[in-house]
Amino acid sequence: MDKITGLMRTKAKELLENGKVERVLGWEKGMFFYSTPPVFIDKPEDAEKLVWDDFAINNLAIYLLDKRNQESKVALFVKGCDSRGVVRMIQDNQVKRENLYLIGIPCPGLKDPKTAVRGYYKDASQVPKATKCEECQHPNPVLYDEMLGSQVEEPPEKDRFAEVSELEKKSADEKYAYWKAQSDKCIRCFACRNICPACSCQECLLDCSKPRWLDKEVDVAQNQFFHMIRVWHVADRCVECGECERVCPAGLPLMQLNRKLIKDINELFGPYEAGMDLEQRPPLTEYDTGDPEEFM
Amino acid sequence: MKAVSKEKLPALLEELAKEGTLYVPSSSGDMSRFVPWESDVQVDLEHNTTMSPKEVLFPQTEVLYNYKFGEENTVEPPPPGSEKIIVFGVRPCDVQAIRCLDEVFLTRTYVDSYYKEKRDRLIVISLGCTVAEDTCFCKDMGVNPVEAEGADIVLFDLDGEYGFEEKTDKGKEITKKIASQLSDTSKKKPKAPSFTLQANSNGIVEKLQKMFEHPIWEEVCQKCIGCGTCAFLCPSCHCFDINCKNTGACDGFRYRTWDACMFNDYALMAGGHDVRPTKVERIRNRYLHKLLFFKERYGMFLCTGCGRCLRECPAGMNIAGFINQLEEVTVDG
Amino acid sequence: MANPEQNPLVPEMGTITKIIDETPDVKTFHVTTPRGKPFTPKPGQLAMLSLVPVGEAMFSITWQGDDYLEFSIKRVGVMTDALHELDVGAAVGVRGPYGNNFPVEIMKGKDILFIGGGIGLAPLRSLINHCVVNRDDFGKLEVLYGSRSPADLVFKYDLFDNWPKVKNMEVYVTVDRGDDDWTGKVGFVPAYLEDLKPSPEGKVAVVCGPPIMIKFVLQSLEKLGFSDEQVITTLEMRMKCGIGKCGRCNIGSKFICLDGPVFSLAELKKLPPEW
Repeated sequence: MDKITGLMRTKAKELLENGKVERVLGWEKGMFFYSTPPVFIDKPEDAEKLVWDDFAINNLAIYLLDKRNQESKVALFVKGCDSRGVVRMIQDNQVKRENLYLIGIPCPGLKDPKTAVRGYYKDASQVPKATKCEECQHPNPVLYDEMLGSQVEEPPEKDRFAEVSELEKKSADEKYAYWKAQSDKCIRCFACRNICPACSCQECLLDCSKPRWLDKEVDVAQNQFFHMIRVWHVADRCVECGECERVCPAGLPLMQLNRKLIKDINELFGPYEAGMDLEQRPPLTEYDTGDPEEFM
Repeated sequence: MKAVSKEKLPALLEELAKEGTLYVPSSSGDMSRFVPWESDVQVDLEHNTTMSPKEVLFPQTEVLYNYKFGEENTVEPPPPGSEKIIVFGVRPCDVQAIRCLDEVFLTRTYVDSYYKEKRDRLIVISLGCTVAEDTCFCKDMGVNPVEAEGADIVLFDLDGEYGFEEKTDKGKEITKKIASQLSDTSKKKPKAPSFTLQANSNGIVEKLQKMFEHPIWEEVCQKCIGCGTCAFLCPSCHCFDINCKNTGACDGFRYRTWDACMFNDYALMAGGHDVRPTKVERIRNRYLHKLLFFKERYGMFLCTGCGRCLRECPAGMNIAGFINQLEEVTVDG
Repeated sequence: MANPEQNPLVPEMGTITKIIDETPDVKTFHVTTPRGKPFTPKPGQLAMLSLVPVGEAMFSITWQGDDYLEFSIKRVGVMTDALHELDVGAAVGVRGPYGNNFPVEIMKGKDILFIGGGIGLAPLRSLINHCVVNRDDFGKLEVLYGSRSPADLVFKYDLFDNWPKVKNMEVYVTVDRGDDDWTGKVGFVPAYLEDLKPSPEGKVAVVCGPPIMIKFVLQSLEKLGFSDEQVITTLEMRMKCGIGKCGRCNIGSKFICLDGPVFSLAELKKLPPEW
């Protein structure tokens, strides 16, 4: 890990000094052993702030949206999930490939600061691997200009949809009761939407006041509506980075919803993983004469 | 002083619950909050909750009035409650936050009726802290972690028992009702816990008064993703939005909900003018509100050092870190 | 102030008794309640108008009659769209009055220069009419007003008929862009102000308009020698509760709904420049 930190700092300093980029996005050490939040480096001397450790889990891709209309060049460090988020944004026309310099970091699986906080752990070694990292199938960056360190071994393939299949077996009443209980916990903070690389609309329809699609009341009905609509809107574009579920303060199992839709899309239109390939279009944005048409 | 042994606590809670609606801190899955007590509720007094107790006095969604329009045009506020509201196990940082909310809702010409009618029925039973989490900094924000100022009853964690002291008339009155559960103890009040997190708040008011145009805001705001986690979990954040909802062809209700100054439409006016169009202005407004404007207007910080925003912010924003950063800032004049 | 004893967030139901079309997007509404005028506002104060199924918003009370309150409202969003669709007789809720008022006591005996832009003349109107009705309390009255085009001029009956007829009162009107029938001045308000070169001696300037216009006018007034105490403005922010509780209409530690909307330039300079 320390080796990568050194490489990050050298690389960032070099890119800023020779003017190749105006800004480098990475991670720095925060106040607590479990905080390694994002950092934004404009000056070469600040490159010393960069750190790579067990808690560098934030997906940096979303910060590209802050400057989406500007032509400035940005370098960012990307893990597997982060690089898929970047692919998502390029495919959604939110950023241009030529404005990005991607430095890939093969990821051994990281830890979630929220696990440390909620479990009241006292040091890093006690903290288990993050749930999203346990479920990760693609730790190596899929899009990069250069890579720091060598690729890690891809984890053995596992059934991403196991939990979803279990839920599918329940009766309609049981499913409704389960999701009702989850929606009851939601406090409508929008952390899930704001951290999602696929949620890049300049004005989210769920904020729109004319017409007011989503009422501002925070109750089960509105919360259900919010989550249903958001999940459908990202359906074939979700890169399964797992950030939504990780940042939720109420602990909603949002990846179950996302994976349900991905499972259905796989069954209807063939196996597809978003954000893996810049050229491959999300299935709902195109059609094929071989598509199922039982409803016709 | 008086005390209640930890084994007798369930019985004490059962007695308290007969006096009104009793709220206790409880963990369920990832999010602990204050919930109405029932005999099977697991009470968690070891750590502070994720959702603060402000939702008892200032619910996330609250009906202001029901209305009819068309043939009849009427507005009717809901009737006030009548039961006592007892909140048990409120930490000193959260009690201080209730004092901040009192300043907002009960003073300056207008009294918010919805808040007042609950506040009048509220009895705060505070539990002092013997351990400070690594994210706590209440002491630096003017809060006494051992004994909350403004609570009706204060409890002290004395190992096998809780020390019990009535502070106000409301506190004395309710203590009479549960006196059978109390015993005596010769133990003394515990010492203040030691804090690993220091956030030196001396002199920040004077400094911040000169820092509105300072470039620090551009740097500090960058991590923020503009969600409402900090504002909603904060025990003293009080901003709200008012909207209406039609439930039929000619009736509906007007309600208020929590709002967050981080949301991008917080200051957006009809016609498009927005005084806080980017996160620079919004974060600046938030931090200045917490550390400067509220102090200027009401004489106390709007941040009570509970640490919830430090723990749950998805992006690692840190107001205590910001206060420490201010030490290195020099301002002219 | 509104009666602090009542529930301050609940409106009183009233009706619209008159609607005047000022411009393609501005209408003036007269509102009354079953007990007549619901309250007697001072010039500069605000009230919340509530269209129950749509929303609630804060408006300047532009004038008042014996039994009605007058609001001149520009169509800019959800709430004002709905208001503009209403007919005479429609129900509307009203609560107030909110905010502070123009400091008419310290303005007595002085010459007053009113500078308005666009719909900004509406909040000033309550003060101008107050001065006209109490004519002898004030010195010379001058109104400098500009809008985008002749069609956007509000209160034309006041600008061209009523006010010029008042003793020792002058009205100067300009538009950003004229049309085929316009024979008056063309130009921006701050530029016209500098042309007129009003003397600051014994005068109070009262300014209201779009924020960008206010900023330029304040600069011009400073150049002309007006002191900070001689300049008064009225501001606007997004408001929801109107009673200083919901937190959003703040400039620094002041709330526009409670400590404003009227501020002297001296007071404004002590606040962060966030308006």
